[in-house]
Amino acid sequence: MTASIRTPWFWLTVAALALLSLFVLYPLANILTASVTGDGPSGWARLFDNPKYMQAIGNTLLLATAVTVIATLIGVPMAYVTARHTFPGKGLIALLPLITLVIPEVIAAQTWLMMLGNNGLITRSLREVGIRLPSFYGWFGLITSMSFIYYTYVYIGVVSAIARFDAQLEEAAQSLGTAPGKSRLKVMLPVIMPAILASALLVFTMTVGNFAISMILSHRLPLLSVVTYQAAVAEGASDITMQSTLASVSVLIVMAVLFVNRRIIRRGKYEIVQGRGAKPQPLRGMRGALVAALAGLVVLISLLPLISIIIGAFTASRGPVMQWGSWTLANLERVFVSAPQPLVNSLTYAGIATLISIIFSAMVSYLVVKKPNILTPFVDYVSAIPLALSGTVLGVGLLATFHGGWLPLSGTATIIVLAYVIRRMPFGMRNGQATLHNIPNSLEEASISLGVAPVATFFRVVLPVMLPAIISAAILTWTTTVAELSASILVYSGGRETLPIQVFRLIDSGLMAYASAYGLVLVTVILLPIIIAARVFRIDVFALR
Amino acid sequence: MFMKSTPLAALLTAALVPAAFADPVLYTSNPVPAYEAVQAAVREQAGASLGVITGGSGVLLRRVEAEAPAPQADVFWSSSANTLGAYEGLFEPYASPALEAMLPELRYPGDLFLPANLHVVTMLVNTDQLDGQAAPQTWADLADPAWNGRIILADPANSSTGYTIVWGLSKLLDEATYKAVVSNMVVSGSSSNVPRGVAMGEYTVGLTYETNSYAYIDGGQTELLLVYPADGTFTSPEYAALIRNAPAGEAAKATIDALLSKDAQIALLKVAFRRPSRTDITVADHVGLPEISDIRTFALDEAEAAANRDAFLADWAALPKAGDVE
Repeated sequence: MTASIRTPWFWLTVAALALLSLFVLYPLANILTASVTGDGPSGWARLFDNPKYMQAIGNTLLLATAVTVIATLIGVPMAYVTARHTFPGKGLIALLPLITLVIPEVIAAQTWLMMLGNNGLITRSLREVGIRLPSFYGWFGLITSMSFIYYTYVYIGVVSAIARFDAQLEEAAQSLGTAPGKSRLKVMLPVIMPAILASALLVFTMTVGNFAISMILSHRLPLLSVVTYQAAVAEGASDITMQSTLASVSVLIVMAVLFVNRRIIRRGKYEIVQGRGAKPQPLRGMRGALVAALAGLVVLISLLPLISIIIGAFTASRGPVMQWGSWTLANLERVFVSAPQPLVNSLTYAGIATLISIIFSAMVSYLVVKKPNILTPFVDYVSAIPLALSGTVLGVGLLATFHGGWLPLSGTATIIVLAYVIRRMPFGMRNGQATLHNIPNSLEEASISLGVAPVATFFRVVLPVMLPAIISAAILTWTTTVAELSASILVYSGGRETLPIQVFRLIDSGLMAYASAYGLVLVTVILLPIIIAARVFRIDVFALR
Repeated sequence: MFMKSTPLAALLTAALVPAAFADPVLYTSNPVPAYEAVQAAVREQAGASLGVITGGSGVLLRRVEAEAPAPQADVFWSSSANTLGAYEGLFEPYASPALEAMLPELRYPGDLFLPANLHVVTMLVNTDQLDGQAAPQTWADLADPAWNGRIILADPANSSTGYTIVWGLSKLLDEATYKAVVSNMVVSGSSSNVPRGVAMGEYTVGLTYETNSYAYIDGGQTELLLVYPADGTFTSPEYAALIRNAPAGEAAKATIDALLSKDAQIALLKVAFRRPSRTDITVADHVGLPEISDIRTFALDEAEAAANRDAFLADWAALPKAGDVE
């Protein structure tokens, strides 16, 4: 302990913890204390008294479990075949899932309804041959739509872990007489498990916090995020007992899941020494066609909303009614010429927020994984808290905390950037930690024993090794930051609208054509860095080749 | 890492230094075409650039409440008296000269809230989904079990539209009919989902204000039909209000004047189908909507609706509905 205080790492940990306390713990505390302090019966007593709230908690846990399992079952095999094999159409299939990350969930839910709703294309054609699907409103729709959006997070998290996995380990197992399939399970699975768990955790928490799809598809099925929002609307700002109690429940659920995740990772620690990835094996003939067809189908399903955005962006409209088949450039003209402010704002705010998130999360995940001290577990827990906060809770907390007082941020662009960083920094954290578990300590020890100072070693040895992972984390952070809606919509001020806010406003106003145009530009803005990384810097971010 | 330090510093400065706007800011839950019409009117009449923050009216009112020590917004334009009534303390009265031209029965006591437009409840019917049935003509028609699961309505707990409708139905219909109508309803958490759900053919009948429904008919969806129930429908004035200690000062008042001006009200009627609160505009001159005098209405006591809100919503929550989970 006394030895650790003298290292620069300890003081960096203190600085990180101080920042996190100010911008995460303090706003959260403002909200959470209200669950016990408010007037009348405590929020917890009311929670246990009301069967609707208990039902909402049960439903949310069930939904999150189902979506996590299905998303993992889709995402891991997809990642495996893309990382280890080549097959027809692989380039597209490896890249396209990324796009689903950026399609506003409101548009996604709308597109699913066009296919499988009461009057959906598929529903109607199946009804004609006598098959009646269950109503898409409720479990069927929630599980289907969320699984086909969130599998992407599993895919992206796992694909780089498999690509980095040292194939020699597998060969060694096989040369010792283990069958290929079994050696993969016994050797590869434990090593990529941290990445799988980290992304599964992400899916679980995103499902718990999901608001847009839940709101549209749950109807009368109580869900935690929806009842929290309803409580918030009903209570207002003067008495926040019930909303903060429900918000606390979702925080507790996610902290519990995170705790279990850490225990599992700690139980088995694996380091890949040389990290010579396997060369992708071509899949030909029937097998190749089958894999390509299956993967293609998954991607196609998750891309339906994008297709509707592209068509919508060029379709003429009158008010909310789309004039299908009559094409126009007027929608895009609005985005670039008559109302370009949202585009400019999004690029500026998300760019700055991504930069801050990445620097912070690279430093902090390094501290947590490689330089543990008495404080790092707290840094780890606190930096994961935003995962457990729905955007609405975070937005309300930030406004309540940084309005007036000694740090008046409301009404500035800073609070938008701050909301972005707090909300998305954990993505980089999870990603960075999973990567660092795979970087051997011996590298760094060698550098230090050769006389390079610890901090210099971080910049000159560890950082370069982490760089590909940092860039892919930066892209993931950029992707999700540019698309962030639920917190920024609470803290933005006049003239500081971002692309997702504009899309949400337009969809809410029923103007799908304009919304699609802004949505299309949003998707483009997100894809550009990925293409640049792949083409210009030759960084194989998502194992495309 | 991707950017050189000089442009980055410039970018940081540009983004993070708070701009010193004296321009007025509007909080509203109204759709894009509606607030764009108001922005145009403010630019023309007051020479100011109006900033707009949108969101659910409950969320925005909470925000005004949280910002009360140092208000960020100048004008609030959304909601009916049954929602705004609980937030009187956040606003200050303003006797706009435009009030002269308003229907006297729409004015709020003390002019704390100013009537910006008049909402009329309608049934939006998708005739392609009728399956040979006749379109409903009265509220009581909706009690027929054939409508089970085919009527959509915004959740009264979260939407003032939904609340106005079910409160009105509970007053207009006898108890058995009211319960039968409610048992056929599907409740949506999102109010914009109501007209869109009907336009998409997801539901046959949507209960919502004419401003939301008529946009789809105006857009050219000829299968849609607007029904003003023959047993009388409900109206509700939508208010604009001056936020207490509005930072834009006189520009805030000028914004309200512009919003209530004859030009802005006509523009709102044309692009957003907002029925004007002024008496000097003939609706039929501009859009294909009937005059308010030709619509049979059923008067509701908004104060009573606001006072009994909690008890009514508790009773409502206990009633079986078509969207209930089995």
